[in-house]
Amino acid sequence: MRSAEMTAEPAVRQISFSFLRPSRPTLVGALAVLAFLVLWQVAPSMGWVNGRFTSRPTEVFFAAIDIFRNDNFLYHAQISLTEFVAGFALAVVVSIPLGVLLGTSKIARYLIDPPLMALYIAPTLVLLPIMVIWLGIDMAPKIAVVFLGAVFPIVLNTMAGMSEADPRFLRMARSFGATKFDIFTRVLVPGSLPALLTGIRLAVGRAVLGVVVGELFVSQAGIGYQLNLYGSAMRIDRLLVYALVVSAFGYTLTILVRSVENKVRDWRSK
Amino acid sequence: MAQIEIRDLGIDYRKPKSNEVFSAVDSVDLSIEKGEFVTIVGSSGCGKSTLLMAMAGLVNLSRGSIRIDGKEVTGPGRDRAVVFQEASLLPWRSVRGNVKFGLEMQRWSGGDLNERAMQMIRLVGLGRFSDYHPHQLSGGMRQRVNIARALAVDPDVLLMDEPFGALDAQTREIMGTELLRIWERHKKTALFVTHDIDEAIFLADKIVVMGRNPGHIKEVINVDLPRPRDEAVLDSEPFHDLRKRLRAHLAEDMSSMQLVKEVA
Ligand SMILES: Nc1ncnc2c1ncn2[C@@H]1O[C@H](COP(=O)(O)OP(=O)(O)OP(=O)(O)O)[C@@H](O)[C@H]1O
Ligand SMILES: [Mg+2]
Repeated sequence: MRSAEMTAEPAVRQISFSFLRPSRPTLVGALAVLAFLVLWQVAPSMGWVNGRFTSRPTEVFFAAIDIFRNDNFLYHAQISLTEFVAGFALAVVVSIPLGVLLGTSKIARYLIDPPLMALYIAPTLVLLPIMVIWLGIDMAPKIAVVFLGAVFPIVLNTMAGMSEADPRFLRMARSFGATKFDIFTRVLVPGSLPALLTGIRLAVGRAVLGVVVGELFVSQAGIGYQLNLYGSAMRIDRLLVYALVVSAFGYTLTILVRSVENKVRDWRSK
Repeated sequence: MAQIEIRDLGIDYRKPKSNEVFSAVDSVDLSIEKGEFVTIVGSSGCGKSTLLMAMAGLVNLSRGSIRIDGKEVTGPGRDRAVVFQEASLLPWRSVRGNVKFGLEMQRWSGGDLNERAMQMIRLVGLGRFSDYHPHQLSGGMRQRVNIARALAVDPDVLLMDEPFGALDAQTREIMGTELLRIWERHKKTALFVTHDIDEAIFLADKIVVMGRNPGHIKEVINVDLPRPRDEAVLDSEPFHDLRKRLRAHLAEDMSSMQLVKEVA
C-alpha cells in the first residue's frame, strides 16, 4: 500500500523543477533567438559584415534607452498613435453599418460590391499622393490613409458574415415568430461577430502600415518621420528601435483582437 | 370539426432557372383531431417536408387552405412549433440559451424564462448538460434540445420533420419511446415525418401515406395498438400486418418511379 508521504514525494519534485523544464517549442525558440543575437553581436567584430550597416544588439539596446529618454519619443509616438486611432475609429464607425447594410440588402450588394472589391484589392497606399494634395502634410492625409486601409477589410468581412448566415437558422427563427429585428439582433449579429473581428484584425495591419508609410512619404513628426530622419543619417541602431516599436505595437494589437475573436468563436473551436 | 383541416391543398415551386412551376404537393385533404399523433411516410421527395412546412406557415400555399382551430394559416404562429430535421440549434448559444430562444421570440409571459427552459431540458433528460454548447453534444442530444425548444413555447401542435433521421437505429428507438412518454403527458397534437416504417407505426394514432408526382395522400391508416406502448408492441401481430401494408405501399411507389424514368 502506498503511503501519503510516498505519493507526496514525486509531486514535490515535480513542482520544484517544473520551472526549469519549459516546453520544447519555447526552448527551441528561445535558443534560436539567443543564437541569432550572439551571431549578430560578433559578426561585425569578426569582419564578416560591416557594422555600419548591421549595427549590434548592444548598440540597439543603448539606442533604445537613449530614444526613450531624450528623443522626444513620446511626442512622436503620440502623433502616430493619434493618426492611427482617429483613422481606425473612423473606419470602424463607417464600415460596420456599411457592412451590415451590404450584408442584409441584396440590392445594395449588387450595386456596391464590385467597386468595393476593387478598392479592397488595390493597395490604398497608391492614393497617398492624392491625399497629400487634398489634405496637406499634417495628420489629415495619414488619417485618411489609415481609414482607407482599415475600412475595406471590416466592410467585406461584416458583409460576408451577415449574408452567409445559415438559412436554416433564419427559417427556425421565423418558425418561432421572430420579427425581422429579432432575426437581425439574435441571429445575424451573433452569427457574424467572429467575421467582424477577423475584419478588424486584418484592418490593424493595414492601418499600422498606413501610418508609417504615410509619415515616411511626407510629414513633420511621428514615428515614420523619425524613421526617415535616421534612415538618411544611416543610424541603423535607432532605425531598428523605431521599427521594433512599430512591429511590437501591431503585433500586440493583433494578438489582442485574436484573443477576443477566439473567445467569441469559443462555441466553434475547443 | 377537426383541429386541423387541410382542404384541396396545392403547393407549387418554381423550377430553378426557368419560369415553369413544379407541383410538389397537390389536392391534399386531411383532417387531424386534437391530441392525435399523426405520422407521415412516403418515399423521398414526395412532399412530406413541404406539407409540414406549409402547416408551419413557412411556405406559401398555391391552392386550397389549412385551418387550425378554425383559423386560416397565413404564417408561423404561437399555436405551432417545429422540430427541424437538421441542425437548427444556434451554435453560439448553450443548451439553455437555445431552449430559451423560442420563448424570447414569443415574448413569453408565463413566468421566469430560465426556470421554464430548465424544466423542459430536464423533461428531455439533459438536466446536467444545460451549459453545454451544441458542438459538445451528440446527435441524439441535439435532437432532444430541438424537441425541448419546441415544447417550451407550449404549442397546440407539434410539427416534427424527421427529427430522428440522422440517428442510428438504436438511439432512434430510445428517442421514439421517450417522445411517446413526453407526449402521453401533454397530449399535444403531433405531426411526425419519417422514413422509418416501424417508427411510423410505433408512434402513430394515424399514418398518412404519401405518393409522389405530384405529392398526394394515398391512404390514411388508423393504428389501433393500445397505449402506452413499449418495444414489445414491435413483435405483435397487428404491428406485423401494418408493416406489411406500408411496405407494399412504398414498394409500389418505387416501381412507379421506375416507370416514370423509363417513359421519360
Ligand atoms: N425550395 C424549393 N424550391 C423548389 N423545389 C423544391 C423546394 N423545396 C422542395 N422542392 C421540391 O419539392 C419536392 C418535395 O420536396 P420535400 O422536401 O417536401 O420532399 P420530402 O418528402 O420531404 O423528401 P425527403 O424525404 O427526402 O425529405 C422535391 O421534388 C423537391 O425537389
Ligand atoms: Mg423532407
